[in-house]
Amino acid sequence: MSTDNPYAQYHVVKKGDTLSKIAEEYYGDKMLYTKIFEANKDVLQDPNKIQPGQKLRIP
Amino acid sequence: MRIANVFVALAATTLMLAGCASQKEPAEKALAQVESSVAEFRADAEKYALDELQGVDESIARLKNSVANKDYSAVVKAAPALNSTITALKETIATRKADAEAMMAAAQSEWTDLSAKVPQMVEAIQSRVDTLGKSRKLPKDMDKATWETVKTDFETMKTEWTDATAQFASGQAGEAVRKAREVKAKGDQILGQLGMTPSA
Repeated sequence: MSTDNPYAQYHVVKKGDTLSKIAEEYYGDKMLYTKIFEANKDVLQDPNKIQPGQKLRIP
Repeated sequence: MRIANVFVALAATTLMLAGCASQKEPAEKALAQVESSVAEFRADAEKYALDELQGVDESIARLKNSVANKDYSAVVKAAPALNSTITALKETIATRKADAEAMMAAAQSEWTDLSAKVPQMVEAIQSRVDTLGKSRKLPKDMDKATWETVKTDFETMKTEWTDATAQFASGQAGEAVRKAREVKAKGDQILGQLGMTPSA
């Protein structure tokens, strides 16, 4: 999905968030964290390292 | 006395025939002018004022019939009123044509907006539907019935969007825009059901 799509959904990382938790919140399945990682490779190098305040696209 | 009456009758007939003959040229000229005027805007009239055009055509047919019956004075007498009707019809056509063109321009403008937004909507929803399709469970705010509805409605949305684009391509801008509005409304509904709050 293109980054300038106005219908794209975003999640601002909170303290204690992990990609797995975010994946469970949006998809119901922790294992789909890879989808979020893949969609945010421009800002994430490691799926285990996310920072509060980061704005992640939820594909 | 009897011979005198015959002469008077003959004279009257001669004068009447001469009078009729003198009206022939103006009558034929008036008819030609009316037909020429109508020919100039017939194509637009058929599009924007068909009923009124049929009325004018009937009047022209009556004039032709009068000419055929050598009733030239009837033609000369009726032509001015018919010319006034034709002038009014021209104005009606011009107004309706301008209105139609304005509506078309508005539809084109709305279509430009919708044809940018709807594909983006489809892309965003498709991405989420594909991902949720791989999920072992649904998000906590979504039940199975909603998920099934979303999938069905999304397929309908895509089909209707294809229909709308085909309508627009075939020149049915108004119909295309009406359908596109419905498609976008359905897309908004699906986004809501998926819990996807648009960023814009």
